[in-house]
Order: sequence, then structure tokens, then C-alpha cells
Amino acid sequence: MSLLLQIIVNGILLGGLYSLMALGLALVWGVLNIVNLAHGAFIMLGAYASYYLFTLLNVDPFAALPLCMLVVFACGFVLQRYVLNLIVRAPMFNTLLITFGIDVVLTYLAQIVFSADFRVVNPSYAGANFTLLGTTIPLVRALAFAMAIALTLTVWLVLGHTRLGRAVRACAQNLVAARLYGVEPRTVYALTFAMGAALAGAAGDLYGVVSQINPYIGDPLTAKSFAISIIGGLENPLGVVVGGLFLGILESLTSLYIGSTYTDVASFGVLVLVLITRPRGLLGKTT
Amino acid sequence: MQPILAVDHLTKRFGGLVAVDDVSFELFEGQILGLIGPNGAGKTTMVSLISGTVQPSAGKVVFQGAPIAHLPAFRRSRLGIGRTFQLMKPFPGLNVLDNVAVGALFGTGGGKRQLGEAREDAAHWLAFVGLGHRERQRADELGGPDRKRLELAKALAMNPRLLLLDEVMAGLHHGEIDEVVSVIRKVQSRGITVLLIEHVMKAIQRLSDRVLVLHHGTKIAEGAPDAVLNDPQVVDAYLGTRRV
Amino acid sequence: MMRAVGSIAFAALLLTLLLVPWLAPPALIQFGTTTLLLATLAQSWNIIGGYAGYASFGNSVFYGIGGYGTAIAMVQFGLPFGIGILLGALLAVFFALLLGLPVLRLRGHYFAIATLALAEAMTGVVSNLDIAGRNIGLVLPLRKGDAFFYELSLGLLAVATLTVFWISRSRFGFGLIAIREDEDAAGVMGINTTLYKALAFLLAGFFSALAGGIHAYWITFIDPVSAFDITLNVMMIIMAIFGGAGTIFGPLVGAVLLSSISEILATEITGMASLFFGLVIVVAVVFMPRGLTDLMQRMPGLGWRYFRENLRLHRL
Repeated sequence: MSLLLQIIVNGILLGGLYSLMALGLALVWGVLNIVNLAHGAFIMLGAYASYYLFTLLNVDPFAALPLCMLVVFACGFVLQRYVLNLIVRAPMFNTLLITFGIDVVLTYLAQIVFSADFRVVNPSYAGANFTLLGTTIPLVRALAFAMAIALTLTVWLVLGHTRLGRAVRACAQNLVAARLYGVEPRTVYALTFAMGAALAGAAGDLYGVVSQINPYIGDPLTAKSFAISIIGGLENPLGVVVGGLFLGILESLTSLYIGSTYTDVASFGVLVLVLITRPRGLLGKTT
Repeated sequence: MQPILAVDHLTKRFGGLVAVDDVSFELFEGQILGLIGPNGAGKTTMVSLISGTVQPSAGKVVFQGAPIAHLPAFRRSRLGIGRTFQLMKPFPGLNVLDNVAVGALFGTGGGKRQLGEAREDAAHWLAFVGLGHRERQRADELGGPDRKRLELAKALAMNPRLLLLDEVMAGLHHGEIDEVVSVIRKVQSRGITVLLIEHVMKAIQRLSDRVLVLHHGTKIAEGAPDAVLNDPQVVDAYLGTRRV
Repeated sequence: MMRAVGSIAFAALLLTLLLVPWLAPPALIQFGTTTLLLATLAQSWNIIGGYAGYASFGNSVFYGIGGYGTAIAMVQFGLPFGIGILLGALLAVFFALLLGLPVLRLRGHYFAIATLALAEAMTGVVSNLDIAGRNIGLVLPLRKGDAFFYELSLGLLAVATLTVFWISRSRFGFGLIAIREDEDAAGVMGINTTLYKALAFLLAGFFSALAGGIHAYWITFIDPVSAFDITLNVMMIIMAIFGGAGTIFGPLVGAVLLSSISEILATEITGMASLFFGLVIVVAVVFMPRGLTDLMQRMPGLGWRYFRENLRLHRL
């Protein structure tokens, strides 16, 4: 029984990080209707940012969070403002393709600049853990979980209750009207996309603490973020939390009871099932 | 004589909204039935229920003696029901001729099998509606009135027995309306039954053998055009001040 | 007169292509075979993505099933290649039907994501099957002679292209185009959209599987990661779109061009080729979203305005 509890706790901790990972993607998708296949590349960039801050300047990965977010925010802003804004009104498929292209460019630039070697971020407290209700919880994972949830809630509050959030949502719903109210869509789009990128960067920073970094970690994480966004549903901002926790626990359980090689099958199998039966996600309404 | 179309206690609910409420009527072959009513009365929903775009919540639709309420749209097209859309949907990437050819390829009875034959049919129907000179143009380059003609040609190329026309005259001026009226007369002369949704009352008066009025999803009047258009209930609900 | 010149040029091109194994050095023959197989994949995607408008990110599934079907038939059951590849193709068609019917009910990017998810899951599924050699994969019997595989690939591409040619002037093809342009209107006009989409999906899967089978036998090896390589999906899509989706020769042009340039660059810095690919995609999607064939058709008339038009239509 305590093994099951441990597995579930592992799943929850993983799920928190997953939620943060998916948050940026879901934000940009739900609000701007941009399906960003380069999302994982932003996660990867955030991870590398934290790695270099840690190894070159001895900055603690958790303290580096705002810096990593800033770096990736800037990348995202430039990309949206000068590249993606050019195809916003094109068919959705064009967005898929162009973000894929950006993904490839970023991944192979990273390979050229950072090399394909595996990197690790190993703060001094990396091995520490504590016990709770009979389960062992690694400290770094707990901290990552806490930061992830905190960021997710912050985003939810900002979107719902601030002027910027309202401007973003206005643009998403009606560009012409938004313009009439003095909102400049190009900047708002760029800011929103940059926020999504920054969140990915934050996830990357935290990811680097719990797992290895190389230029290719992006694609599988993009796929997972998709799965989470769809399973949780794009309509409710808390959907990613539901989706992330769901996927984390599912993967944990699958790993134990069926086999670790089946985790991908389980995740994507569930995704396909959800798409077919409840395309609006677990939190969405059935039409 | 058996009606070509019989609608029996037809109801459609969208969640809490009742779009069509227990409506029944019959349509006989070769007739033109005008369907009028204020916006939101359920006219387009009624047409969608007949063409198969929407499934009924209750009631029956019987076409040429056979129940069709649970057949998908494409099967009903093959049985001989054609319709135009209020929001015109030409196939943007195809030229005008090929747009109509699609109708000829897949219409009543499964349509033509050969592309060449279908294109010949298409050319014929385009000439019929007065669009022959625009065969080679891209469909999305057409202006409003021409788009309506294209919609009509597409539906006609399917060789329907029953043609459902959804506001084909909206936004047209008097001369254009007269042209469409004469085209619909030509259609009727070929033995095709027509159900016509319109807000243009003079067209309804000139064309319809009978008129049916919907209001909030229910049928509030049915009969000869003059009688219906002067019915006080209809006037109150829809037409406004009495006509003398 | 122009027609005669065109036909002769075309015939000359075909003849040259046929004779490559006797005219070219081995490296070029191998490059040719790879390009022919990629072109076949692009052409098969063209059927479901270009004509029917359903952007599938899952053709790699059928490519892999074709490869594994061939490998399992030859390695585990000792069957000859001809039978093996047919079995692989049949297996792929079966799965195309099984997976396709539920997934084809989804529209737009949901369909794309569902097929992507299926593709991602396949690696995991197959690496757990003993008959497929689990993670290690299978080693196929060796057959010497690059010429054999080259000609086989050329033949497959020819058949695939002829199929697309037939589609483009058939009732079926018109139905697919109507579905792509406006699926609801297509249904109302009498097209059985479910049947047609499924057929297109099957055809695409069929040709992808054959390409996978040839590839597996050619390199005498198959394993889950390479068989279900996700990047294959995007490569075939980019090639088809760059050349011109929904046209007969677009995918071929795209495949040949992009393969060639990628090959030239691959000898430079590693990763350069992929980097180039990525940049091409970005630039192409912005400036020539309808592909090379559309560009060549309309640019002579419009000049640089062609690019400005595309920008103007799509920018924020």
C-alpha cells in the first residue's frame, strides 16, 4: 500500500512540473490560437540557461528562475513579433509548419553551440530528501512542484484579473474591436507568446534540476505538453493542472504496473482516446 | 396523391432552445412552398432538418414515401434533395465550372461517373442561371449576386426532385430579384418541387403556390399567399403594418 | 510543337532516371534511392494531406508497419521479399482502417495532433513485442545490388504518381478536393465524406508501407526508433508542401530539391543540413505557402508582388 502511495506521490510531483510545462503551450494555443511545435525548444533553452548560470556563475537553479524566464521571454518576443506575426491569419496548418521549422532551427543551433553532450545541473542539495506520510520525497522535486504550482496560479490570476490579461483576452476574441480600444495587437500577441515562452523556460530550468539536458529534449516534451493541454482542456486555465497531474500519475502507475517502456504508449493512448471521446478535455463541456 | 415531402410533428431542440416546435406540413410535386417568418423563427433549421445537416429531436420526415429522418446528408442528396446555403459556400480553390461539376458528379442517384460528362452538365446549368460567361473564374472571386447564382447552379446540377432555397434573394436589387424569380419559374417548369425561404415578399407572392409562416419555431399560418400575407397574426408577428 | 518537345524531354528524363544505376557512382545511386523513397512518402501524404486536406502527421506509422511486416515475414517466417512486403502493406491497410475511422472524425489540428500521438506511441508499442525483436529490432537477409532497390523504388514512385494522376482527374479526386475545400458543403452535395476520407487515408498508408518495406530490406535492419521516425512525417509534409500540395508533381519536385540541398550541406557541419531545412520551412511558409508549383504558375504574372500578396493576406 505504501508503495502505491509512493508511486502516486511521485506522479503528483512529476505532474506539477508537467503542468507548468504545458501551461505556456496551452496559454498560447487557447488565447492566440497558435499551436506551437517549438514549445519544447523553449523548454530546452530555459534548461541550458539555467545550466550555464549554474556552472559559470554559480547561480542556484531556483534563484535563476527569473533570469531563465527573461532570456526565453526575449527569444519568444522576437520570434512572435518578427516572424510569427507574419502568418497569424493564415490557415492553422501554416502555423504548425512554421513552428516546426523554428523548432528544428533552435534544436540544431543548440546542437552546434552547446554540443550534443548530456548536461546536468547538480546543486549541493540535489540528493536530499524528506519523508511525508511514509513516502520519500526528493527535495528538488518538491521545490520544483511548489514553484510550478505557484507560477501556474500566478498566470491564472494575471489573465483573469489584470489589465494586461484583459487586453490579451480581448485580442484573442476580436482583433478589430481590440484595436478600436487602443490595444495594439502586434505587441500584445508578442507579449503573450513571450509569456508562453517564458513559462516554458521556467519549466526548463526546473526540468534541468530533475533530469538530464541535451538539445533534443524538446520534441518529446512538446508532445507531452500537447497531451496535457488536450486532456485537461483548453477552456479552463486550470485544465493544465488537471491534465498534468493526470498524466504524471498515469505515467507513474504505468511504469510500476505495466513497465517503464509503456509510459509513452499510455500517455498517447489516453490522448487519442480523449480526442475521440471528449475533444474538449476532461474539464471541457461536452457539446 | 402522395406528397413528395411530408414533415410530421418535427421538433428540434438545441440544449434549452426549441428551434423547431412540432411542425407538420405536406408538399406536393411541382409546387412552390414559401417559408417565411422573422429572423430566428427556425426556417433555416427546418431546411437543415430536411436536407440532413441537422438531426431531429422528434418527429418524422418522409420523402417520396420513405422516412429519411435518420439518413446522413449525403444519402438524402442522392435521393434527390438539393439545397443552397444562406452563407454561401463555394469551393474556393476550384473554378466556377468545377464547383458546379461537383454537384453533377454526386447528385441524385449517385450522379455522373465521368468528369467530362459532369463538366458538360455543369456548363449547361451555369448557362441556365446566367453564369455561363464566368466558367473559368475562381469561385471565390465572384461578387455577391453571382455567388448566389453559383449556389443555385450547384444545387441544380445535382438533379434534385426537391430544391430547398435559403434566402437566395437577400441583398439583391429589383432587377436581380426579377431575374432570380424567372429562373425559379424555369426550375418549376422542369418539374422540380421548390421550398423557398425568403424575406422578399413580392417574390413570395409571385412564386408561391402556398405559404407557411414560422414564428418562434411554431407554424402560425399556412395557405394561399394572399390569405396568409393578410392574416392578422402574421402581420403582427412579422410583416408589420397591414397591407390593403 | 511545344507538346512534342515537352513529351520528348519527359521521356528522356525518365530514361535517364532508369539508367542511373549504370551511369552513376554508388553514392549517387544510394542518394537516388533514398530520395525516391522520400518522394514516394511525400506523394502518399499528398493524397490525404494535399488532396483531401487532412494533414496527417502519422504516415510514419504505416511506413514502420510496412517495414516491420516485411521484416517479420522474412526473418520469423522465412518468406520471400515479395510476399513479405505485400503482407506489410496489408497489415498497414488494416491498421489504417482501424485507426483511421475514429481519428478521421476529428477536424483540423485535432486530427493532426491525434495522428502525431499515434505516431509517438508506435515506437513504444513495437519495442515491447518479441516477434519484432523488441528494442533491438530485426536483421533482414542481405540482398546485394543497389540497382535492384533503386529500380524498385523508382517503380514504386511511378505507381504512386500515376495513382495521384488518376485521382486528380477522377470523380474520387473531385470528392476529395470538395472535402478539403468545405467538408460540410461536400456532404450536402452527395459526397460520402467518411468513405472518401478513409479511402484516401488507406491509399496513403498503403504507399507509405511499401516504401517502408523496401527501405527495411535495403538497409537490412529495422528497429523501433528508426522505423517510426517522427521526423519522417514532417519531412514528407514539408517536401509535399514546398513543391506544391494537391498537385501531381509538387511532391516530387519538393523531395528532389530539398533532398539534394540537404545532402550537399550534410557534408559540412553536422546539423547544418537540418538547420537549413528549418530555415527553408520558415521562409517557405511565410513567402510561398502554396508551394513551388503555385509560385511558378503565378509569379511570372505577378513578379515580386506574389510574395507581398502572400504576406498581406496572412500577416497580423
